Amino acid sequence: MKRSAQLGTIAALAASIALVASGCSSAPATDGTADNPVTITFWGAYGNGGNSTQQDALNKTLIPEFEKENPGIKVTYVDVPYDDLLQKLTTSAAGDELPDLVRADLGWVPQFADLGVLTPLSDTMSDFADLSKATYPGSLATNLYKGKYYGLPLDTNTRVYITSKAALTAAGMTKPPATFDEFIAMAKALHGTGITAFADGGLGAWNISPWIWSGGGAITDDKLTTAMGYLDSPKSVAAVQMLVDLYKSGDIPNLITGNAGATSTSDGLPKGVYGGILDGPWMQGVWSGQYADFKPIYAPVPAGAGGSVSVVGGEDIVLTASSKHQQAAEKFIRFTQTDQFQLEMVKTGQMTVMPALADQETKVADFYSTFAGQLKTAKSRLAIPGASKVDTILSTELTPAFNGTVSVKDALSKAASQIDELLKGGK
Amino acid sequence: MSQARLRSLATPYLFIAPGVILFAVAILYPIAQAVQISLFDWKIIASATSDFLGIANYVRAFQDDQFWLSLANSGIYMLFTVPPQIILGLVIASLLKRKSPAQPVFRVLFYLPVVTSWVVVSLLFKYLFADAGLLNFTLGDILHLTNGDTSWLANRWTALIAICALGIWKGIGWSMMIFLAALQGVPQALEEAATMDGANRWQRFRAVTVPAIWPALLFVTVMLVIGGFNVFTSVLLMTNGGPGGQTEVVLTYMYQQAFTFLDFGYGSALAVILAVIVFVLSVVQLRVFRDRSGQDLA
Repeated sequence: MKRSAQLGTIAALAASIALVASGCSSAPATDGTADNPVTITFWGAYGNGGNSTQQDALNKTLIPEFEKENPGIKVTYVDVPYDDLLQKLTTSAAGDELPDLVRADLGWVPQFADLGVLTPLSDTMSDFADLSKATYPGSLATNLYKGKYYGLPLDTNTRVYITSKAALTAAGMTKPPATFDEFIAMAKALHGTGITAFADGGLGAWNISPWIWSGGGAITDDKLTTAMGYLDSPKSVAAVQMLVDLYKSGDIPNLITGNAGATSTSDGLPKGVYGGILDGPWMQGVWSGQYADFKPIYAPVPAGAGGSVSVVGGEDIVLTASSKHQQAAEKFIRFTQTDQFQLEMVKTGQMTVMPALADQETKVADFYSTFAGQLKTAKSRLAIPGASKVDTILSTELTPAFNGTVSVKDALSKAASQIDELLKGGK
Repeated sequence: MSQARLRSLATPYLFIAPGVILFAVAILYPIAQAVQISLFDWKIIASATSDFLGIANYVRAFQDDQFWLSLANSGIYMLFTVPPQIILGLVIASLLKRKSPAQPVFRVLFYLPVVTSWVVVSLLFKYLFADAGLLNFTLGDILHLTNGDTSWLANRWTALIAICALGIWKGIGWSMMIFLAALQGVPQALEEAATMDGANRWQRFRAVTVPAIWPALLFVTVMLVIGGFNVFTSVLLMTNGGPGGQTEVVLTYMYQQAFTFLDFGYGSALAVILAVIVFVLSVVQLRVFRDRSGQDLA
């Protein structure tokens, strides 16, 4: 290299080293100012299925509002398809590249809390007690892991009983069944009409918990220490037995035992193949697109000895421990718990996590009232890292009970002993 | 040694170096990593310590009923799809051997399934075999052979039939292509000599054709057996291992353990076990398929 070129290279290197060194000076890990804003990244699956209304509400209305109120903070929402989000979070956790905030499915919160990548908000947010009191207890409970809360509810949903006018008329009923007895009577009345009384898509916790809880049974004790004695208690057994009896008499199709080729519940109800299903508020949008003439009838889950108790679904907002902007991110979390944020998202089809806003929610769309009512008593599934294994255990053990090769009590006891292993921290 | 001699000795290695490096990095290194992961209770967070388990994950696999069931299903799939693909591929190749105007058209038609996406055809076959699907409609409403309400995907064996049907349909074109090429290499002179000696079609096939295409037969068999044990996408999308885990195969079970339950140590152990089984089977086949003159083809 010629001497002048060599000198030029050295000068360039020196300049770049100086620049890098100045950039590496310890930047304060607090929020920025209006001149020096910090940027927090927020991952979610709001854009699922190509529906942009939720993303638009976030990007066009809510985030600009937040940024106006907090000039030192910029929020970047990154949309990830729902089916990819868990994978992406897992690999990002392994590569230490998590974002600041995540809209996490309920079941993921204990899993990621167990990995140690989430901040316990109950410890770090001074107003956590007030914020948490404003949400549905079932939704809040999904954030609890080993005595600390690792997130706050962001949006929620639940399953209610949905039927059709055609099915009710065929069964000679004017109202949906309100109790277990009326539910069984409806099934008997539908014999020979070509309509199968009730269909569900599986035997996991999401499917079977509403029946067990409504029947007065339980999955585990309150402290999540043991399932034996609770999952196979007489009331739990009776509730599952009711479903098994209906399956045997042909009133529940084999979709519930995993027949991948059976008609789905979302097609079966509007087509008049099924008389009733349990499903969530998103079906309104699905059916209005595919079956525009179908008018679903929403009702609480039929009540048994335990009342009408359903299962909580939805998403929580969590803060990653690796975030360099903990304070700024917590400000955004507070923002998601405001009336403005919750109601704006209600307009796009996301149910609010605040019972106080239920009336306004119903004004947006009538059918929400059934769901809001159900949410008052809805319970969360097991908030343990091994939650997805619980679903596999329940399906594997209950399928033979439905097929009649094993008694319901034995199946539930076997499932309970395996769940106990998980609760003890085993695999 | 002189410069020129060194260079001429080194040249072949330099030529194969890029390929070997790619192979080492993309294939050998991940396998070694998988073996390493399988010896630990692997935590995905870099800062967490993974407990060394030794062979505990392997012991757990051998005591796991669901693992044996999935291994059996992988084996059943392999046994039910490999012979039909070989036989049907060979039959179709024999029929298409003669050059005719129709030959290219049929070649394309038979090969088309091979290039389709596994995801798309799995979903298609799922709809074909659904309770309200085309197969039930044909069997019931058109041919009146059944009631038309067979729940194909609701039982282990009928679901395996559906999955194997997909595997065979998708693979015939591939083996057909290989055999078509191999059949071109059958010495015409020997065929004519055999005909003149009074051999009929079947005897000619057995004595002249099969020995001539022996290397192709070996290749196809080894590849199909490996592919058979590696079945994944079709099972995942048609039944997801259901009902109740009855149609689980080793790879779907491994995927569930590693990516749903985040138990990477156990998932890796399952993957290593499968790799060992496939490797042993391949070596056995290479030994068994010895060249007729007694030489190994490996």
